[in-house]
Amino acid sequence: MRRTITILVLPALLFIFIFFVLPLLFLLAQSVQDPETGRLTLAGYGDFFQRETSQIIYVRTLRLGLTITIIDIVLAYPASYFLARMPARRRTLAMSLVILPLMTNPVARTYAWLIILGRTGLINNVLLGLGLIDQPARLIFTEGAIILGLAQLFLPLMILSLVSAMENIPEDIEQAARSLGANSLTTFLRVIVPLSADGLVLGATLVFTGSITAYVTPVILGGNRMLMLSTLLRQRALMAFDEQGATVVAVVMIATALAVNLIVRLFRPKPAAQR
Amino acid sequence: MKRSRWYYVSLGIVYFFLLGPFLIIFAAAFGEESTLSFPPQGFSLNWFANVFATEQFIYSFWTSLQLGLLATAIALILGTPVAYALTHFHFPGEGLVETVFSLPILVPGLVIGLSMLQFFVLFGKFNIVSGLLIGHIAILFPYAVRVVSVSLRNLDPSVEEAAINLGANRLRTFFLIVLPNIRAGIAAAFILGFITSFNNVPVSVFLSGPGIQTLPIAMLSYMEYYFDPTIAALSTLLIIFSIVLVQAAERVLGLSQFV
Repeated sequence: MRRTITILVLPALLFIFIFFVLPLLFLLAQSVQDPETGRLTLAGYGDFFQRETSQIIYVRTLRLGLTITIIDIVLAYPASYFLARMPARRRTLAMSLVILPLMTNPVARTYAWLIILGRTGLINNVLLGLGLIDQPARLIFTEGAIILGLAQLFLPLMILSLVSAMENIPEDIEQAARSLGANSLTTFLRVIVPLSADGLVLGATLVFTGSITAYVTPVILGGNRMLMLSTLLRQRALMAFDEQGATVVAVVMIATALAVNLIVRLFRPKPAAQR
Repeated sequence: MKRSRWYYVSLGIVYFFLLGPFLIIFAAAFGEESTLSFPPQGFSLNWFANVFATEQFIYSFWTSLQLGLLATAIALILGTPVAYALTHFHFPGEGLVETVFSLPILVPGLVIGLSMLQFFVLFGKFNIVSGLLIGHIAILFPYAVRVVSVSLRNLDPSVEEAAINLGANRLRTFFLIVLPNIRAGIAAAFILGFITSFNNVPVSVFLSGPGIQTLPIAMLSYMEYYFDPTIAALSTLLIIFSIVLVQAAERVLGLSQFV
């Protein structure tokens, strides 16, 4: 049996080690190596954390991640509850509409926001037409544009996590709460929310780490004027040809994402309903 | 269940936010003007014609198609045995194996792409295509393991036990009994994997070169130079493609249970 397991698992394990872990270690090594002398140095990290521009970008990335997570929680919570309680057939259709954006080309999806927010886009044309503004406002390359784009992008992940947690809550519990005198809102806040907490934590982790590492939305809606970590990484690698600088940003990005996952794993509430 | 006002308000907002932008793209694709504006003026199919006349799109479409098919197939070949081991046996280090195999989900795609470029292309002197292929296999692998594991868990173990009791060995049982029974799960994994690869941008950003470009990367580079609605037309085609694929898969396979 041991041999069977080895045969089954070893090829994939080797693949992941050679083709995935090794390149990452190589990247890590490059970030602490002086490009000229090859000596060990933390200068790249010192540079990243001391320079004002990268500080601003790092803080902005975390702040936007948090904002987007909160927006998605607020939007997803009530909707997920109704989705989880739909009859099976209608829910299948409703859920396939929710996951549709996940399945579409990200450039196509983000492009829509350019049409809405651009100089000659929907919002500017409406505001100009109503006489509320005299000349087009700059709506793209702003934090607001990135927030809109990423909140839309990750909303399905939040809904999926919440729905799968809420499906496990028996309807009897709600009826019990109600027959004991709780109104809908109280039932929702005191029964549904605590019992779906593990879905909330999972969804929030996915949305937050997704937002701080996303690439397409910041590149299209933020551009070089409103950089996030990912677009800073691209700029260092492709425009400044600063290889070490790029690897430092990459390591900071991984470390942040892993740290968030680790913290969540340590403090995660115990799953409320049986899986 | 009585439907409250909240039912319509909360679902209405969510669907408006998720799907509204798609309608805007569809409308913009048929505009006449050569700079993108909304609401669009006039009606024309020129931008659709332009999609097919732009060699960059045709070429990168084939690259993305081949890459997606090959990477998904390899990820499934590597991932199915792992899913089998994880669902059928308990072994020391099981948790560690599971963690190692979920690593590609935790690492940002952009970082994966950069590490492929630096390790394989710049340091190892491999060509860009191999870096691209390896990167895509790596990100698909965890999904392949997960989706196949779900369908293996849903399979009644007594079916397999019956075959083994009748004298078939594990390998034979797998190919003759297990595999045919989980083919919906495999197909779902294939479709999900293909879509994931076909739509991926971050891994591919650093892995393009002369003549090597995936479709989304070609779209991004086109957008840097042109502001006409060609991208809206191409996006419309791609969105319709996803709707058809997802609806077909949902109907046949129940895709959403695997996501």
